[in-house]
Amino acid sequence: MKKIVEIDLENQRARVQPGVVNLDLSMVVADDGYYYAPDPSSQKACTIGGNVAENSGGPHTLAYGVTTNHVLGLEWVLADGEVIHTGAAHWDRPGYDLSGVFVGSEGTLGVVTEATVRLSRKPEAVKTLLAIYNEVVGATRTVAAITAKGITPAALEMMDGFCLRAVEDAVHAGYPRDCAAVLLIEVEGLREAVEEHADEIEAVCRENLAREVRRAKSAEERDLLWKGRKGAFGAIGRISPNFYVQDGVIPRTRLPEMLDFIGSLEKKYDLHIGNIFHAGDGNLHPLIMYDERNREQTVRVIKAAKDIITRCVEMGGSITGEHGVGLEKSDLMPLIFSEVDLELMGRIKTLFNPQGRLNPGKLLPTGKMCGELRGGLLAGGTT
Amino acid sequence: VTLAVDCVRADLEALVGAPKVLFGPDECLPMAVDGMVPEFIVLPGTAEEVAAVLHYASEHQLGLIPRGYGTKVSMGARPKKYDIALSLRDLKRVIHYEPADLTIGVEAGMKFGEFQNLVGQSGLWLPLDPRGGEDSSIGGIIAANAAGPLRQGYGGPRDMVIGLKIATTDGKIAKTGGRVVKNVAGYDLGKLLTGSMGTLGVIVEASLKLFPRPPERATFALSIATLEIARELRRRILRSPLDPMRLVLLDASAAALMNDSVKGPESDEMELWIEIGGSHRVIERCMLELRHLASAVGSTLARREDAEKAWERISNAARWLKPKYRDVTLLKASLPLAATEEFLSRAQLEASSEKIPLAGFALVGVGIVHLWALQEALGTNIGAWVARLRQAAKALGGSLVIEHCPTKLKGQVDVWGASGDDLGAMRKMKAAWDPQAVLSPGRFVDGI
Repeated sequence: MKKIVEIDLENQRARVQPGVVNLDLSMVVADDGYYYAPDPSSQKACTIGGNVAENSGGPHTLAYGVTTNHVLGLEWVLADGEVIHTGAAHWDRPGYDLSGVFVGSEGTLGVVTEATVRLSRKPEAVKTLLAIYNEVVGATRTVAAITAKGITPAALEMMDGFCLRAVEDAVHAGYPRDCAAVLLIEVEGLREAVEEHADEIEAVCRENLAREVRRAKSAEERDLLWKGRKGAFGAIGRISPNFYVQDGVIPRTRLPEMLDFIGSLEKKYDLHIGNIFHAGDGNLHPLIMYDERNREQTVRVIKAAKDIITRCVEMGGSITGEHGVGLEKSDLMPLIFSEVDLELMGRIKTLFNPQGRLNPGKLLPTGKMCGELRGGLLAGGTT
Repeated sequence: VTLAVDCVRADLEALVGAPKVLFGPDECLPMAVDGMVPEFIVLPGTAEEVAAVLHYASEHQLGLIPRGYGTKVSMGARPKKYDIALSLRDLKRVIHYEPADLTIGVEAGMKFGEFQNLVGQSGLWLPLDPRGGEDSSIGGIIAANAAGPLRQGYGGPRDMVIGLKIATTDGKIAKTGGRVVKNVAGYDLGKLLTGSMGTLGVIVEASLKLFPRPPERATFALSIATLEIARELRRRILRSPLDPMRLVLLDASAAALMNDSVKGPESDEMELWIEIGGSHRVIERCMLELRHLASAVGSTLARREDAEKAWERISNAARWLKPKYRDVTLLKASLPLAATEEFLSRAQLEASSEKIPLAGFALVGVGIVHLWALQEALGTNIGAWVARLRQAAKALGGSLVIEHCPTKLKGQVDVWGASGDDLGAMRKMKAAWDPQAVLSPGRFVDGI
């Protein structure tokens, strides 16, 4: 099911089957100046159906919202085989927003067979900045300062020195190998607004001790920087036999503290942790290196991952920003949700999935391994 | 019957305290909904008290309608029963506020005006201009998913809610989402509750994304001689690099209202209003672009210095129209963008053949058309007119609801219109939350 059923540019929407690859949809409308805004790092391979099930994000969701903000209507098949249509090809169809519940339900409420999504207009101008720091704390402080200044970049990503060296080795994207961290910042919009915002952001970077702020001089240079960022997980895969991707969220002003904490875990558990964040919205992706043949080390990885998530929750954050709950985190749900909350979600699940046949065991806790990450699933991830 | 009422009163007083329970027809008249006066007004002071009252209503099958300041309570079908008005106006605390993180959590009864004043001190806002304006409550705005023209630039409540606390009919308080701007843990019940019109549970607290206010704003009006020009301008503006905060096509009557003309339309020209936000340079550039666009299609451009007042008139329509047009009816059609102008013109045609004075506003970049039937007294023909417009909206690929009207009209025409093949799922959803059907009973789609 990988057909683009209809492109309707005047109405800024497309109707697609679930197997359509995310990037393919953007490519099809690119010449007309449109694109599909949610851009997971795996967008070359991931499908719209999967994006809908996971409510996928991506670097540029900072300014434009995640999948749920771009889905107008869905066709889905219920557990008993009934086909229903929720939402519409326009906003505000009267009734409950069942599409809003379905998006991000991780395949536990039904199977999506068609989606009507919004297409967005490409901006007139884009500027990509690379701010380079000798100390990580400068980068994290910059993120908080940019948010506090009221500038919303289209994307605001952070990579630490370890990750960007791995990226450089794999992609040769032009990241400086000798720094502690970089911020990849993108501003989009009207030419004048982009220039002003880029200048303001550059000033904020320098105030927070960026040693250098580069601007991509061409589309090629920009594409290369993004290729590096989006290919980072793959690049890490070249240097570590296994790595564990954590996905947590914190209020963005707490980034400096969180980085210190992750640093302390490296010492505590004698592990190496790389940091790649969708920093602008406080979404962390710490990467914990390990070798799965080393059982004892694997146990330390699980502990460190759990500590990071617990710290996210203590800071008022979430156990997942975009990778979802799945099997791995279902038993962590009680960290942020009470029994009442979970019972209510269970009721919704039972409505649509009474026998638990749709993606069994996912999203809600099973009670078998309360509060523990599931060790058996420690494989490298994407996004 | 008297005895039963006394029992309920004593029970409610035990739950929330005697001073927070009002009763008797005179006391309760201000909370009437569609002509139905409740037996009690309950003003809980905490989320737990809200949950306790909901549980009580469910156990005793008492119809309950939650409300803030009543700005949107006319929306929905006539309730099947209405015993308790649950006022949330005493729930108005700030729960958390982190200006640097652009997030805030407040109780549902906080007035929107007070909310905006609070966050405005840090140069922030919730970029919404819902029906009811500053007098709305935060909870009511979310429950009605109420958005106005600002939806063009910022989206609606659906896009701004990051977490909710909801009191349920089993007497509990459930949480969905959280306090951070990105979060996919668990089902997104915030989306479900947004726009559910108080029929599933009662929103007691909301966490929201905030936005920086643009440094400067400017509104421009373009004259529109024909529908074809309106279409062409919409296409060109939406393809241009302009990124309007608001973009509204006004028919001649609506333009007259916005221009504060008491005499009614001075000409039969439509106007396209566009608001831009940004730095001085950005606004200058946009003005230049708009001037080019205007001359390309044979339109004239004027900058509106008094626009903020005019925009408020759209939000507060029901309030300021009411003294003059006692039986004003407000309709909202949701359509594909390309159908907005055609629908507006069709509505004008149908209205003039029925001699219904009409003002129409089309949010052409969002696909929403608001129609105001300006009547001093409800005509007998208006039900048929609404039905025909609903047919027209459907034929164009959209739908139409009545947002506000005299109660009499609700007996003639369905407020919400026909449902689709997801009605069964919606009914199951309602039953899962409110098995005794006591929350705003019968007010939502298809009698839910």
